[in-house]
Amino acid sequence: MNATRPIIEIKNVYKFFGQLQALHDVSLSINSGEKVVIIGPSGSGKSTLLRSINRLETIDSGSILVDGKDVNSKVNDINLIRQELGMVFQSFNLFPHKTVIGNLTMAPMKLKKVSELEARTRALSLLDKVGIREKAEVYPAMLSGGQQQRVAIARALAMNPKIMLFDEPTSALDPEMIGEVLDVMVTLAREGMTMVVVTHEMGFAREVADRVIFMDHGQIVETGTPEHFFTSPEHPRTQKFLSQIL
Amino acid sequence: MNPQFSNKPVKIDIGDGAAIPLKKDSGLFNAWWLTFFGAIGIIIYLCVTKPDPYWRILQFLPDGILVTFQVTILSILLSLVIGLFTGLGRLSRNKVINLIASTYVEVIRGIPLLVQLFYIYYALGRLELFKGLPPMTAAVVAMSICYGAYMGEVFRAGIDSIDKGQAEAARSLGFTRAQTMIYVILPQAWRTILPPVGNEFIALLKDSSLVSILAVSDLLRRGREFASESFLYFETYTMVALVYLVITLFLSKGVSKMEQRLNYYERD
Repeated sequence: MNATRPIIEIKNVYKFFGQLQALHDVSLSINSGEKVVIIGPSGSGKSTLLRSINRLETIDSGSILVDGKDVNSKVNDINLIRQELGMVFQSFNLFPHKTVIGNLTMAPMKLKKVSELEARTRALSLLDKVGIREKAEVYPAMLSGGQQQRVAIARALAMNPKIMLFDEPTSALDPEMIGEVLDVMVTLAREGMTMVVVTHEMGFAREVADRVIFMDHGQIVETGTPEHFFTSPEHPRTQKFLSQIL
Repeated sequence: MNPQFSNKPVKIDIGDGAAIPLKKDSGLFNAWWLTFFGAIGIIIYLCVTKPDPYWRILQFLPDGILVTFQVTILSILLSLVIGLFTGLGRLSRNKVINLIASTYVEVIRGIPLLVQLFYIYYALGRLELFKGLPPMTAAVVAMSICYGAYMGEVFRAGIDSIDKGQAEAARSLGFTRAQTMIYVILPQAWRTILPPVGNEFIALLKDSSLVSILAVSDLLRRGREFASESFLYFETYTMVALVYLVITLFLSKGVSKMEQRLNYYERD
């Protein structure tokens, strides 16, 4: 395998929702281990772009390669590609009919045929990592939002993905719970995980991002380091957006 | 705004089922209590004060009750299978499958059950393969085909009631469409599906009285047999009606208890 090849290659992607243009000629390369934070006003296409990477949204033209494989090609099994892409949603989407540990062990056992013992051992160590091992046997409905989101992160990690996608992971949380989720994400970033994060948390961006991307009207407007965005954003739309959220 | 809480089961209402008692009617003197124990009281009163003919009628009916339950249980099981596939068909993205399932539902819902029973019985009778088909089998097949369509709607609504985020989460982990349905959607949907299925069970039990026209010795047929021999039409049908009422009310209580129990992993 070519070590210098980007792990995610997005080329000239267009996407329409009816008349509405969600993505307009978006191109982006992300290297292994890189942490990319995507910001932008709502409706800017940032979530659509993220969801296109694991084909939860299908694109109308262009190409998206994950680890060299075209996610929209019939030749590749999308379900195998998705196993490499952990995803965390704004609304957690834990399986309410499974206990916390059941949420973590289900995919590895059913999809990778991991033994129950092995899956449980790994699940418990992941729960340790996100700081809620003691909640292993309870149902998600018994957890706070912050705890649920940490379980959701652990569930995605249980499949040993190469890349983690975060779609506004803290937007549905009460303010006092945002910190605990971001802490887990920072730890993950320190360990070298490749991460693509759609968020408004500029503090998080400043702490971990290698690159920040500002999107508006379905286009990438500006790209740079977090420092660049805090000190000298160039584009007027970026300046306007940052002045609103900072 | 916490979407997890929007997962509360949606209550599906599919028309002509039995009345399931509402939780707020749980006082001592509610309609259910009054009807149930009233019916039992009247049965006991009639049998004690006028054992002839009432006690004789009551002794004549149990065979029929058994057949009624047989038809009902076999039909409900078969219609559940038909209903699952119909419901999945109605949600399918494959246009042909979708059209077949929807057409089936439209056709069945547009024909009265009694007409369907006659039709399937005599239509099957004309086919060489089904010559001499036992009336009981024909009855079960006809009831299942009919109720399968209604059950299909129950499954469709139940599956549809599960938050789209559940399927997205499962697919993003690498589950296929079918695995997502089996491991994630259906295990959640059954809580929404079971109460209306119980409702359909009771409705089916009542509608099973129609099979008496196909020479199946169900509860109503046994009553007719007794009446035509004894000419005691009023007395016999009084007893038949009371027995149906007791069975139906007993079952509807069961369904409502089941509905309450199904919410075990909800936080209120």
